[in-house]
Amino acid sequence: MQQITFVRGLIVSGLLLTTCVMADNDIDKRLDKQRDAIQIINQMEALYRGDSSRADMTMIVKTPHYQREMKMTSSAVGDEQSFIRVLAPKKDRGIATLKLDDEMWNYFPKINKVIKVPPSMMMGAWMGSDFTNDDLVKQTALTDEYNLTLNETETEYIVTLVPKELTVTVWGKIDYLVDRAAMVPIEQNFYDDRGKLIRTLAFSELKQFGDVRLPSRLEMIPLNKDGHKTIIIYDELIFDPDDVAPSVFTLRNLKSRF
Amino acid sequence: MSLLVKLAFRNIFRQRRRSLLTALSIGGGYFLCTLSFSLTEGSYNNLINLFTLTKTGHVQIHKNDYLDRPKLYKAIDDYAVIGQQLDHMDQVKSYTYRTFAPALAYSDDGNRPAQVIGIDLTRERATTLIADKVTSGHYIDNNADSDGYFQAMVGAGIAESLKIGLGDDLILISQGADGSIANDIFKVGAIIGSSGGGDDANVYLPLIAAQSFLTLEERVHEIVVTLDDYSESEAFAEAFSKKLAETLPGLAFSNLTISTWQVVEVDFYNSMESDKRGNAVALAVILFIVFIGVLNTVLMSVLERTREFGVMKAIGSRPATILSLVTIETTMLAALSVVAALFLTLPLTYWLAHVGFELSEPLDVGGIMFSAYRGEMSWFVFGVPFLLLVFFAFVISIPPGIRAARILPTQAMRSF
Repeated sequence: MQQITFVRGLIVSGLLLTTCVMADNDIDKRLDKQRDAIQIINQMEALYRGDSSRADMTMIVKTPHYQREMKMTSSAVGDEQSFIRVLAPKKDRGIATLKLDDEMWNYFPKINKVIKVPPSMMMGAWMGSDFTNDDLVKQTALTDEYNLTLNETETEYIVTLVPKELTVTVWGKIDYLVDRAAMVPIEQNFYDDRGKLIRTLAFSELKQFGDVRLPSRLEMIPLNKDGHKTIIIYDELIFDPDDVAPSVFTLRNLKSRF
Repeated sequence: MSLLVKLAFRNIFRQRRRSLLTALSIGGGYFLCTLSFSLTEGSYNNLINLFTLTKTGHVQIHKNDYLDRPKLYKAIDDYAVIGQQLDHMDQVKSYTYRTFAPALAYSDDGNRPAQVIGIDLTRERATTLIADKVTSGHYIDNNADSDGYFQAMVGAGIAESLKIGLGDDLILISQGADGSIANDIFKVGAIIGSSGGGDDANVYLPLIAAQSFLTLEERVHEIVVTLDDYSESEAFAEAFSKKLAETLPGLAFSNLTISTWQVVEVDFYNSMESDKRGNAVALAVILFIVFIGVLNTVLMSVLERTREFGVMKAIGSRPATILSLVTIETTMLAALSVVAALFLTLPLTYWLAHVGFELSEPLDVGGIMFSAYRGEMSWFVFGVPFLLLVFFAFVISIPPGIRAARILPTQAMRSF
């Protein structure tokens, strides 16, 4: 009788042990996956930036009432500093935006005025486009402020980002679709806290920029505004250029005549 | 008939004291009625003129539902073509073009929200009282200075809070109609209105400057029309809408909305109408009291003259004659009292219309400062109470008249 009990005990503990090992494996896998997700998002976010970068872009804003095209140049160092200056049309030439960490300023040469973008305006449109000021400033903190889960299909990674409890954001969820082969973003879908799709950012038209191949066309489509769309086309993107010095990212440079 | 009138006339003076009392009550009614009419009509006419001439005009033309939901892009293209059509309308006294946009006004001392209004300087001046509202500086012109800056006329409230005066820089930031960020510097050329007034947050720019500022080339938001008389507004709006449809059937003009000032200032109009209705009720109460008195007098006189009517019937008067006699008597008395009261009312109404009551504290009626109660002198003010009183005197005399007409001579002879 005692023997039987002992054997039974052995079997039970064996079973338990197996379950534990299996669970450990599961957690490991999940952790791996999370690490992968973080890695993927970080990689995606760094794609257009490198350590430092300079880009020439065309932005096209389409609405049912008007269409507008702007040429601009931007410089960035890491994810903390960026500087954008409008080159065309003539009317808007010289308007510039400086981003340092979480702060943002706009400069208007016509009135020679620097205006700090207040926190309340962060969700406001940047230069009348469908991109918000927040897109320019905070986009990069995705991996810190969201919980990530990774799903895979044959061709895509789908990273689902859900804001952490203390994250201040208007998004309830972001789906980040990444092309597995090219390791470039395909699409970002932004949902509100009721799970309704609010806007979509689509990446297309792969183009060679130096050593990397990147989507050169970004299309932001707000689904709550009929007929609105903003397209950003990267005309040129240079990584680690020589002319991006720390002096670029200063208020003094923002105000410099151009 | 003439005999009846003579009889009636003589009868009025038979009981002078009673007639006088009746006349006083009718005359008093007329006096109150006329003054009340004069004040309501007068003050509202003043207000409407003030309103329409300082702000709204008599008729406004917008694109679609701009009036309810103003959006920068809801602008009228080819406004000059509509202007040409307005030139052909007889009732039009003047018209002007405007553009509107909310903006942020900056100076070195801070910022505050402002309403940018682009105005056709020459036309606006001919259409509204804007030039009279300039409290310092001069009415601006269309020319930019040597540095390319246009002038602006700034509401007193903005000038005060931004601490800017004539010649200073005013920075405006707004959104352009193409989604761009409108930003420019203007020179303060004039201050408009006084602090706390309706123009406090307004910044007036020359139309061409505002159009280029807001990227609204060749487009405006509003066409304001003034007519010879504001009461023609509705008829004009209808006629002009028909004319546009006939002469310019193109699609471009099919989505214009033509609104009268009653629609533009619907809150003001509604409160004015309900106030007028309130006055009408008060007047009705006064008239009711007056006519109870009149009815009493006429009934008394019929009762007193029972024997007289009996005799009249006995010698062959028909009931209709007696009824006519009583009604003619009363109507005539009413008419005479009203004419007498008119002599008293005329000078007082004249004084009300030309001097009126100054209000110690100006009253803000829908954003317009109203500083004096003034009456109105018109056929309407004197005529309507006249007709009302005489007509009701006639109506009220019918029942006593019937009573008199039914008197039986035999019974009448026996009464005292």
